[in-house]
Formats: sequence, C-alpha cells, structure tokens
Amino acid sequence: MTAHRANDEPRTFIEHLARHMSWRRFLFSITLFFFLAGILFPFYWMVSSSFKTYAEIGGRHPVYIPSELRPDAYLELFGYWNFQRNILNSFLVAIPTSLIAVVLATMGAYAAARLRFRGKDLILNSILIVYLFPGILLIIPLFAMLANIGAKLGFEVQDNLAILVFTYLAQTLPVALYMLANYFRTIPEEIEQAGLIDGCTRSQVIWKITLPLAVPALVSVVIYTFMIAWNEFLYALVFLNSRDMFTMPIKINTIFNDPTPRPHVVMAASTIMTIPIIIIFLAMERYLAEGLAAGGVKG
Amino acid sequence: MTTGTTSPTTRPSSRRRWHSLQAQEARLAWRLILPTALIVFGLVVFPAIFSIWISFHKVGLGNLNDVFHAPFVGLENYRRAVTDFAFVWQGGGNMGAYVTSIVYSFTSTILTIIIGLVAALLLNQPFRARGLSRAIFLFPYVAPIVSVAFVWRWILDPRPSGVLNDILMRLGVIDLPLAYLSTRGLALILVIAFTGWRYFPFAMLMILARLQAIDGTLYEAADVDGANTWQKFRHITMPELRYVVGALFLLRLIWTFNKFDDIFLLTGGGFGTNVLPVLTYQFSFRLFDFGVGAATAMILLLTLVVFLVIYVGMFMRSTEEV
Repeated sequence: MTAHRANDEPRTFIEHLARHMSWRRFLFSITLFFFLAGILFPFYWMVSSSFKTYAEIGGRHPVYIPSELRPDAYLELFGYWNFQRNILNSFLVAIPTSLIAVVLATMGAYAAARLRFRGKDLILNSILIVYLFPGILLIIPLFAMLANIGAKLGFEVQDNLAILVFTYLAQTLPVALYMLANYFRTIPEEIEQAGLIDGCTRSQVIWKITLPLAVPALVSVVIYTFMIAWNEFLYALVFLNSRDMFTMPIKINTIFNDPTPRPHVVMAASTIMTIPIIIIFLAMERYLAEGLAAGGVKG
Repeated sequence: MTTGTTSPTTRPSSRRRWHSLQAQEARLAWRLILPTALIVFGLVVFPAIFSIWISFHKVGLGNLNDVFHAPFVGLENYRRAVTDFAFVWQGGGNMGAYVTSIVYSFTSTILTIIIGLVAALLLNQPFRARGLSRAIFLFPYVAPIVSVAFVWRWILDPRPSGVLNDILMRLGVIDLPLAYLSTRGLALILVIAFTGWRYFPFAMLMILARLQAIDGTLYEAADVDGANTWQKFRHITMPELRYVVGALFLLRLIWTFNKFDDIFLLTGGGFGTNVLPVLTYQFSFRLFDFGVGAATAMILLLTLVVFLVIYVGMFMRSTEEV
C-alpha cells in the first residue's frame, strides 16, 4: 500500500481525475451540475437582481454580482408601490382558505374513509371531477353567477376578498379531502374500534384518536392549501380591480406592466413572495414531497 | 358496524338496532361531508353546467346582472369562436389557438416526462447530498408561478443587457440580441421549454417512487446474466415504469391543456403562443363577450374528453394484450 502510494506520489489533478472518473461518473456529474445550475440560476438571478440599483439594471451589460446589497428596489416597493398592503391581502386570503379547508376537508375525509352511506361514490366522484375542469371554464359562470347573486343580495363581487376565499375553497377542498381520506385509510380501523368498545363516542374517537394520529397529513394539507391560495393568479386577476385589494401575484403583474420597466422592483416583490414558500417547503420537505406526488398541487 | 357480523336477519330486535346504527352512521357522514359537498357543487359543478347554458346565450357586460334572461343564440357563439382569426389554423406561420394548444400540450407533456425521467434516474443513484438535491429539484414546482415566469422573462430580456443575450453573444453563438419571447416559433419553443422546466419535478417524484419500488433482485439476476447498463434499463426499468408513465402522461396532459397562467404571464398569448385558455380569457375579459368565451372553453373541454376516451380505450386494449 505505502509502496504503491510512493510510486505515484506526484499526482496531478488531471491524473487524479483520470483515475477516479469513469465515463459513467463523468456523465452523472455533468448531468447533475446541469440540473442544479438550471434550477438555481433563475432563483439566484431573482434575488441578486432585487438588490441592484436602477443603473445596474439598465446598463449595457448585465451585472452578474451586485456591487453591494442596495435596498433601492425594496424601498420603492414599500414606498411608492405600497406593497405591504398586498402582502397583507395575500395573508388575508391564504390563511382563512387553508384553515377552513383543513377543517371541512377533515370532516369530509373522515366520512369518506370510515363511514358508509348511500350516495358516497356519487359525491366522491363529482368532487374528483374538479381535477378535469379547467379553471378558465369555471371563471365565466362563477363571475356571472356571483354578479347576479351579489346584485340581488346587495354585496360587491369585485374586490371582495371573502368571495375569493370561497372560490379558493372550491379549488382546494377536493384535493385536501382526497389526500386526507387516503391518509385516514392508512390508520388501522381497529384502533378506532378499540376506542368505541371502551365506551368513547364517535366524536370522541375522532378527536382523541384519529386526529392526533393524522397530524402530519393535517399539517401538509394546511401548507398545500396555503400555497395554492398564496400563488393563485387567474381568479384574483378577474375578481380584484383596485390596487389596494390586489394580492401579491396581481400586484407583481401590475408592476411588471408599468410603462417604465423596473425589473429590479419586480424581482424584489417576487423574492418576498417566493422566499417564505421555499423556506416552509425546505423545513417540511419530508412530509410534503409525498403529497406533491399524490397530486397535492394541481399544477 | 361491529354488530353487523351477528347475522342481522334472524332476530328482528338486533336487526332494527343494526339498521338504526347504520342510519346514525349515515346521518353523521352526511353532516360531515355536507359543507364540502355544498361548496363544490355550488362553486364547481353548478358553474360547469351553467357554463354550457352561457355558451348558447348572448351574455355581455350589459346583461351580466340579469344573465338568466339573456337571449338564446343557438350555435352562434360556437360559430364565432371557431371562425375567429385567433382560433383557426392560418397556415404554418400562424397555427391558431386550437392547433397551438394541441402542439403545446403534447410536446411539453412529453418534454416534462423526459426531463423528469432523467432527474429521477439521477436521484436514484446513491451520492452525497442526495436529499438536498432532491429538495432543490422541487423548487421550480413549488415556487409561485408569477415569480418564476417573471424571472424567466427577465433572463430572456430582449435588450443586449438581457442575461441570456449577453452570455450567448460572449460565447459567439449569436451576433445580435434576440427578442426571445416576441419571435414567432422561438416563443412557442421557449414556452414549451419553460413548461418542462417548471413541471418536471412532478414527473420526477412519481417516477422516483416507482423506481425505488423495483425489486433489486431483478438487477442482480441481470448482472449474473452479464447484462449491461442499457440492457438493464431497457428490459427491467422501462417495463416497470410503463404504468406510472402512462398515468403521468394523462394527468400532465389534462393539466397542461387547461393551463392559463404560464402562457399568459410569459407572452400574454402573443407571437404564435395563443392557446385556448388564454383565448377564452381574452374573449371574456378583454372583449367582454362571455358567450363566445364560454363556447371556447366548452370546445376545450370537449377536445379533452374526446382525447380521454381515445386514450383510455387504447390503454385498456394494450393492457388486455399483455
């Protein structure tokens, strides 16, 4: 071993590579690098552009690394564009959506997974059909229907965040119910039956046995529905008209379409919108990846 | 439920008790599922049916508040939709939204699955930082669509200061800056590439789950028989992935066909990238002709249903043959 090593001690980097690199490993490394670069560069470009000045953005050549972290774009965003209002609106829509969705979907999913009743298949199938319907097909009748009901009952359909929450519930409930029902089916029924035999009522069994066991699924459903509402674009675009009521995606679209292009401000707003999602995702990745594969986010 | 096993037909008393338990359970189930059912029926199923009605009536901004008295126009909305210059095929240079939709959905679905397959095979190898890599690979899919669409528009900026233009000009690939998203043909290719970039993680996750479920002894047996990597991939991995890829193709095709955000944010439907969902939006919320918009959406849905029937039929036949 030592003699062998002494033999080729003056090993250059190329020699080292030649020894340890097979074609297979070379191909593997190149592909992996290609993927990582292709995924991470846009995110780097988003964050770094948000810290550039207007001069750096509008120069003859792109600035790959900003000279210093300049908060110009963020100052403009929170000053001129009043973006804090839009962040608040996004929370006002996403938090109620996710909380109401998880409560209603838990109830429905329990019934679907554990209880027998007539019409169950019909209901579950119609709920799953949502997967097939284009959002764009539903927005026209929804708009007409709600405008009609609104005119009769005297509420405003445009710029009404509560209406938006309702339409998001319709989009998220089917997926949430489907994911939770699948999870409930993995909890052995015997555990619940033991509880029933010990004299618990159905609701006690649900509260004290099933729900504590389902916490991971409940958490991921809350995060999914939050993400769907946080990212949603089309319904917000149609239902919101005044800048003060815009959620973040619509406001970013407005800033982007400003007559004088201000990409650094767009990138700053995009960074603010993206970073929380990425952090939540990284923190919960273990729970979330499975749900993604199960079609958690219809995307 | 538990008493169901003690033959309920023999004794009337236990039979009644069984029935009342069952009825109690059904009542509870209905109470639990009712809120979800109401919301889904009210805001999805009813609007979907209502949409068919709208597509046969003249509905504009003027009579939106009185939509139920809108005049019936028969197939007029459909006629106007399919004869619109943005809808129909006008030769190779201008494919029209219908053909563009089909081309866009099929090519980007195939591209998404191919990239997802490569990524899944990559992550199926043991290496350091595999967990982190998997998490990073999912970024394009979980990041908000508005952010990633605008980052790509900014990367593809048509000015010489656009980063892709700068890189390609420095490398000598192009002499003059390209207007990527406002050049016919190129714009469609880039929109397809973007779709592949954004949605491959979904395909990757599903394929990866299947790959990890393949029985390892199959590969060991192949090693004993002296099979090389390609042969193992061809004769073990590919057959095992058949069903997951079949399901993926269907799911991704439906979602891509229905997709509005991506193209609307990247090109606004201009430069040969107009697809049916964007056209529906333009008819409804730019021209405020909701009837024609609904008709366009119905054509979209019908195309999807026809495709589904053909696909499921083919899938059934191919599984019967095996």
